[in-house]
Amino acid sequence: MKKYTLKRLFTSLFTLLAILLVLFILMQLMPGSPFNDEKLNDDQRAALYAKYGLDQPVLVQFFRYVGNMLRGDYGVSYNISKNTPISQLIQTRLPTSIYIGGAAVALGALMGLILGLIAALKHDTVWDTLATVISVIGVSVPSYVFALALSYALGFRLQWFPMLYNTQLATQSSVLPSIALSMFTMASIARFTRTEMLEVLDSDYMLLAESKGISGPALIFRHALRNALIPIITVLAPLIVDLMTGSLVVEKIFAIPGVGSLLVNAIQSNDYNVVISLSFIYSAMYIAIMLVVDILYGIIDPRIRLAKEGD
Amino acid sequence: MAKKQPVLAAAQTAYVPADADFVLKNVDGALMLDTNFASQSFWKDVLVRFFRKKSSVLGLALIIIITLMSIVGPGMNAYTYDGQQLTQKNLAPRVQGLENYGIFDGSETMHTTSGNKTVNNYVEKDLTDVYYWFGSDNFGRDIWTRTWSGARVSLIIAAAAALIDMVIGMSYGLISGYFGGRVDMVMQRFLEIMNGIPRLVIVTLLLLVLEPGMLTIIFALMLTEWVGMSRIARAEMLKLKEQEFVLASRTLGAGKFFIIFREVLPNIIGPIITQVMFSIPTAIFTEAFLSFVGLGIPVPRCSLGSLISEGFNAFTTHPYQIIPPVIAMALLMFSFNLVADGLREALDPKMKEM
Repeated sequence: MKKYTLKRLFTSLFTLLAILLVLFILMQLMPGSPFNDEKLNDDQRAALYAKYGLDQPVLVQFFRYVGNMLRGDYGVSYNISKNTPISQLIQTRLPTSIYIGGAAVALGALMGLILGLIAALKHDTVWDTLATVISVIGVSVPSYVFALALSYALGFRLQWFPMLYNTQLATQSSVLPSIALSMFTMASIARFTRTEMLEVLDSDYMLLAESKGISGPALIFRHALRNALIPIITVLAPLIVDLMTGSLVVEKIFAIPGVGSLLVNAIQSNDYNVVISLSFIYSAMYIAIMLVVDILYGIIDPRIRLAKEGD
Repeated sequence: MAKKQPVLAAAQTAYVPADADFVLKNVDGALMLDTNFASQSFWKDVLVRFFRKKSSVLGLALIIIITLMSIVGPGMNAYTYDGQQLTQKNLAPRVQGLENYGIFDGSETMHTTSGNKTVNNYVEKDLTDVYYWFGSDNFGRDIWTRTWSGARVSLIIAAAAALIDMVIGMSYGLISGYFGGRVDMVMQRFLEIMNGIPRLVIVTLLLLVLEPGMLTIIFALMLTEWVGMSRIARAEMLKLKEQEFVLASRTLGAGKFFIIFREVLPNIIGPIITQVMFSIPTAIFTEAFLSFVGLGIPVPRCSLGSLISEGFNAFTTHPYQIIPPVIAMALLMFSFNLVADGLREALDPKMKEM
């Protein structure tokens, strides 16, 4: 286990470094110089370059850049809110995004489990077909289409929930975006739960448990669902990542002051510094989620751990 | 030999069956039930299984209809996708014939805080001969034409991305799996790093550096979509490369690449086709997403994503502007998913469905 964890940790760190390298190269490729005031003469320009360490070899600059990024010093925003440190921008916006994203994951996972369970337990009935249809629709319709529909129907016409995010009414405002974001997670989890449950219900140990007289909820939740849950955890990681992508557009639609809408605004107003910092944060979060899930999976299912160590 | 002779003789002399011992059973009725099956090729079998499933037939029909409409749709009326009529902007859908039945008659209901108001701008502006089947947008462009030319762009991007992704991802996986050892190690570590970077970040950064446009989007998709495909190709290669037919081919002197692409590839084409079909909705979605964010096809050209993005700006006042592209895209992704599901079951009925 230790060896496997260390190996995964090493790969993750290396990936993070690779991303930083790509971002650094991109920064170098960006057109223009940071000091393009025509009044500057060559001496002044050289002094400025020296002050910001831009006269040093590229390698030194790179390692300084890595240090800054890891410490959370991302520089300042140029266009969105002039000269505000990006770390400050992110600090105020990240909690909102995490709150809505977390709600969406929880809601999607719960609803997906219920839907999948119903489909598997009532296999080949109307309920099964209904659950399958819902999950196919959930997988194929992008989250922002749901967002638009919800925003129009429940926000604009019926006025049950605020159409745009309102910081005073944070809880009510988060309902529609969370539902819109959770659809894809729900549909995918439902499909996986159904498949895994069907397989587990068909297994010999379920027959044994049943013949020993266990029945009802104990049979389904303690014996079947626990075994079916293991593979479902693995799909949760990519789903969270898809959710991060979806959150960009959904945050834009509901005007949520989160990191997703910040990134969209930064792209639209060519604020490269913000785009690159947010890319780094998204990548770091992604890598962290993948790492945690992989290690968790190894702890939960010893077969995986052993197989991977044997590699 | 001499010893066996008496035994044989004894057996023969023991009992000689007479003709009367055998009576023909009347099995004419039973024989009728026996049906002969023509030998069926794998692909014919796949087709039969595919068309037996209603959902996959529905998906295929939808894809064909949308593809046909994206080819002929823009030419069905006199409007062009970029022709602007600033005097005829924001007109609601109006269709010849249907207008007499109270639907698609060009009237729209405005929902405001002071109450609902129904107006018909065609009547008010005296445009009795003008018909916009899906309405017109904020610049007086025909949404019907734009929806179908947008669908065309989305389909082209999806097809190109799927094709290139198949070539790159498949070759990468096959080569990595076949050679194994150090080659595999290096290729897999590279893949892990590529997989560790969120797709969103790669695409966004790429579009910041390159000019937005169809080629850039295809290039970005190509860079990000191949990972899943290469994993599948590698896993299949690892299963097949130890089999006898590969050994036989090698013994006959076949080269490495001949074995990879001519011997193994035809045997794993099933899972690869399925994976391609599943990557198409992802490609369509990514394009729509990029357009929504503002990194898509530059104006005045349009894709489904950019139409949704434009419609979004006015979707509370003129909801009809956003409905056609949204429905077209949702149907497109839905039907590709259905077809992919059907193909997976048809190509590999034993495989666990997901």
